[in-house]
Amino acid sequence: MANKPRRNPRMDYSSVSKKEPKLKPGAKLWIRFSIAILIVTFFIVMILTGAPGLGVSKVSEIKTGIDIRGGVSATLYPDVENINEVTDDQLRTIKTILEQRIEAQGTFDYNMSPDYENKRLLLEIPYSGGDNTNPQKVIDDLGEMALLTFREVDLTDDGYIINEITGRIEYLPTDIIVVEGFDIDTASAVYIENKPTISVKFTKEGTEKFSEATRRLVGYPIAIFLDDQYISAPTVESWIKTGDAIISGNFSADEAIDIANKLQYGALPFAMTAKEINSITPTLGESALSVTLDAAILALILVVAFMLFRYRLPGAVASVGLIGLVASIIFWISAFNASITLPGIAGIILTIGMGVDANVIIYERVKEELRRGIELQEAIDIGFKRAFSTILDANVTTLITGGALYIVGSGPIKGFALTLIIGIIMSFFTAIVIVKWLLKALASTKALSNRWLYGVKKEVSK
Amino acid sequence: MIDVIGKRKYMFIVSAVLILIGVMFLLINGGFNWDIQFEGGTIIKIEMANDSYDAAAVESDIEALLGKTVTVQKEKTFNPDDQANSIALLSIKVTKENTLDSSEINSVVDFLVQEYNVKADTIPQIQSVEPFIGVELRNKALMAAGWAMLLIVIYVGIRFRVMSGISAALFGIVALVHDALIMLSIYTVFNIPINEVFVAAILTIIGYSMNDTIVIYDRIRENTALMHKADIETMVNTSIVQSLPRTINTLVTTLLTITTLFVFASIFNVESIRQFAFPLIIGLTSGSYSSIFIATPLWMMWRKYRIKKKILDAKV
Repeated sequence: MANKPRRNPRMDYSSVSKKEPKLKPGAKLWIRFSIAILIVTFFIVMILTGAPGLGVSKVSEIKTGIDIRGGVSATLYPDVENINEVTDDQLRTIKTILEQRIEAQGTFDYNMSPDYENKRLLLEIPYSGGDNTNPQKVIDDLGEMALLTFREVDLTDDGYIINEITGRIEYLPTDIIVVEGFDIDTASAVYIENKPTISVKFTKEGTEKFSEATRRLVGYPIAIFLDDQYISAPTVESWIKTGDAIISGNFSADEAIDIANKLQYGALPFAMTAKEINSITPTLGESALSVTLDAAILALILVVAFMLFRYRLPGAVASVGLIGLVASIIFWISAFNASITLPGIAGIILTIGMGVDANVIIYERVKEELRRGIELQEAIDIGFKRAFSTILDANVTTLITGGALYIVGSGPIKGFALTLIIGIIMSFFTAIVIVKWLLKALASTKALSNRWLYGVKKEVSK
Repeated sequence: MIDVIGKRKYMFIVSAVLILIGVMFLLINGGFNWDIQFEGGTIIKIEMANDSYDAAAVESDIEALLGKTVTVQKEKTFNPDDQANSIALLSIKVTKENTLDSSEINSVVDFLVQEYNVKADTIPQIQSVEPFIGVELRNKALMAAGWAMLLIVIYVGIRFRVMSGISAALFGIVALVHDALIMLSIYTVFNIPINEVFVAAILTIIGYSMNDTIVIYDRIRENTALMHKADIETMVNTSIVQSLPRTINTLVTTLLTITTLFVFASIFNVESIRQFAFPLIIGLTSGSYSSIFIATPLWMMWRKYRIKKKILDAKV
């Protein structure tokens, strides 16, 4: 027994493991002080100048939600008799096609998420300033089925244009339709002799139509269109009687897949209609934004004034922390590539108020200790130590509610939940690290160790 | 020292009366006023060139066009480009039974642009929700609130096992339910529509209120060791009074910010922000109030009952 080495309780091990301090205790305080100042400055500079390398934009250029810049959010449902017949694949296809349609209009910062369980698509498109000023129509047009056609081409100069970007010929649609989308059975991208090609299989009817056309058009191109949009124009190399066509050309694997998808699904399997739509006009969003921002600035000033009045020097330190906190929230929203929404700004305003709570808890404790006659440095240490578990518990509960909101909320409410969550984490960090480091260094100087500066009477009342 | 604990009965009565008023209004109104987001319906708002149009005429025209009952109202909001003049809005509201489909919305918008003095190139604000989606959203939001509460009970229960754990957590939850009921009462009395924004406000308040209660519980946990000679009533009262500066100061800073937001939104007619700020003001006040006057006294009464019972049991 007892062959394990046992510690002798009377021996002092702590002195063995403790490193000899290389720096004077005062120096350590000021190094921390500088780090804290650097962190606060970092966040402020970041949001003022932006850092494209880190994916952080400056405060004036942060992405705003559609509730501010205007836009449409809609829930699109398949327009079918029995919604249970809609497959996940079909929904995925619809999503791809709708994405192409939106991007064709020059809008890229939209948001589309399929909800496979409920067979629907959630869509958010920011206002793009196009001709169509009725958001309902924009959504309606988007969900329309669109027509895929193979057409004969007009080979005269009026029949085509040169695409300025690609430099390739693009035919204009003629009235002579060879086959339509429903004539195509399947289309897929395949490799033939190591070259990406598209294999198309026509339906019975399509085969007949295509056979008739290719018999006449050997050596001429047939152009493929989606509505009026030009896709591709393969040249007919021989009379195709079987209904199996191969489209070869100079395209990459991705382009081949893209064209095959359009051939197979170019037309949506069914129309999509909006059963829920919410459009916000840019004017109203801007109006709300300017009011909210003014309120935010005044709120910040009021809280800083209150903290200075109530807590004097520690109040000033808390205010520095608070400004850093607001800057850091904006920084993280930008870094996460999230959007600023109106409830999000309301969340920041709320955080300005609640963010000083940790400081209030600590400072009240410090005051109590000072009144009891404890020395300043020790009182500050006790204040931070005692308040820690309280602050932790209080923050976890708010984190739980923030998390729940983030999971169920729609766009703007998600924005609120996100600012709340970031705000809680950052305010914890600010109070426990930044403010502590700043305050402890300042309190170590003789000039700033006057008890009055900490909100208590000069003399210890006995 | 202020005697908070001794006056607890009055405070219980105040809360009960407030909630009863809410219940009364609920019965009078015949249920909650669900926003169209949670119930279904359509709202179209369109910017007009000026506000010299006849809302009643628009209403009867649109009713003739659709064959459905609609409500048309004049509204205005702050204009950031021209602060002297506010933006004139025409607001059309349709209840859930008559929710407009896309072609009906299009015809209304086209009709207004043709027949009335709608501002050039304006984009109408449209919110339309089919009833089945509204109900789904409502259930989802209520579920989230339920889950959040459950998680908080579990967390507080675990953290406060020392201070008779679950019972402390349960009375904290009673306070939360109290805050939620007070907020609901205010909503019912003022007939404000309940939507996602309200759920966000309630969840925020739940976090805040628990926060407040925890700070006081923490003090009790500390004083249980320090003041073991004092009777429980004095100890709990001391704890409340000691944490009072913190409770009040934090309430002040939070109310300062949210009230600023509310005042700005009210002056400049930003409806969405006002709808968010108002319940928060009520909830924050209720949250601090319930921590001091509901959760802590109730817990103390429970402890006293338990101690008495132990002594009695021991005597027997």
